[in-house]
Amino acid sequence: MNPTHDCGRRIEALSDYLDSGTSPDAEHIDYCPQCQAQLAGLRSLSAAALLMMDDDVASATADDTGWLDGIMANLRLESRAGRTIPLRGGELDELSETEGAVIALVRTVGDSLGGVLIGRCQLEGDVSVPGEPVEVKINVSARYGHPLPELAQTLRDAVFAELLVETELNVTAVHVAFTDIRPPVIGNGSGESGKGRS
Amino acid sequence: MKQLQDLPHKLADAPDAVLAERAGDGNVAAFEMLARRHAPLMRAYARRLVNSHAEADDVVQDALIAAWKDIAHLQDGTAAKAWLMRIVSRRAVDTGRRRKSHDNLDDQPEAEAILPTPEQAAVAGSARLALNTALSRLPEEQRRCWVLKELGGQSYEEIAQALGISAASVRGRLARARTTLMKEMEEWR
Repeated sequence: MNPTHDCGRRIEALSDYLDSGTSPDAEHIDYCPQCQAQLAGLRSLSAAALLMMDDDVASATADDTGWLDGIMANLRLESRAGRTIPLRGGELDELSETEGAVIALVRTVGDSLGGVLIGRCQLEGDVSVPGEPVEVKINVSARYGHPLPELAQTLRDAVFAELLVETELNVTAVHVAFTDIRPPVIGNGSGESGKGRS
Repeated sequence: MKQLQDLPHKLADAPDAVLAERAGDGNVAAFEMLARRHAPLMRAYARRLVNSHAEADDVVQDALIAAWKDIAHLQDGTAAKAWLMRIVSRRAVDTGRRRKSHDNLDDQPEAEAILPTPEQAAVAGSARLALNTALSRLPEEQRRCWVLKELGGQSYEEIAQALGISAASVRGRLARARTTLMKEMEEWR
């Protein structure tokens, strides 16, 4: 640093340069020893911040290990009902199931297949009117190594079959989108190696 | 259904985006996995923003309750971590604001900022200790801005909104904080 000459650049501008990688003043900054020293200081400050955060996370994890269980127990998460889907009943009955329950069912069916983890699941169509066509859209995270076309067909068949038994929805299509491929499980032979068809 | 017992393993290595989608659909197990994955970071971050560990745990809990209510509206599940940190930021700042209206004297970081001796800090690789010390000496308003930006990854606008000040003030406070921190860390070397 040259103490006799202050180039007058402010720390704000240098921080912005560091954040964005560009600056209208880049030509000066890149060749000014004073700015370069400041940039180096900012960089090591950020590096120290990351290290400090690592330490913080380590001690947040280590301190009284039961804290997270306590918080989880306190959350008491309520499930989401979504729309109401009517079911045929007697004259005096008003039977229905919730959209949330149907989606949970699709999730369970999908999750039970080897290599499949269900993401978002949506029922498209007016489920509140009996007989209206409904399309099921499912996002799937697949385990690497499972042939996708076969997996998609297996999933479609299983979802169709289950919804036919458990609901009165007029399911006209089951759309499967693979949104994620997870790396294969290494090590233990158990788990999702099987095709999971039953 | 025979492979449903694998579900915990599947959830454990599912990416945030998939967990967020499931949680948005109402899957409690997926939300819990997401929460457990990021809770240590949320807790560490909250501890830097409020004045006691107990308060930090309250903030994390409130943040997770808010997150569950709102996760169906999260557009980009890959950004779930940043989203959770944003919720913690807001809750922590609100907690501080509430406390401030009650007292002004206790407005100093408590013993959680472990102060090293100069010898300890002088040891190679102890930049984080030096930073810890320097941070604890910053004025509260600057420290907050710096923590929100540097540890929480919040934008100027987000910080401005959380603190109820202008983005220009955020920039100014941040610059003063960085200048002081750099200077103090230099002295430790």
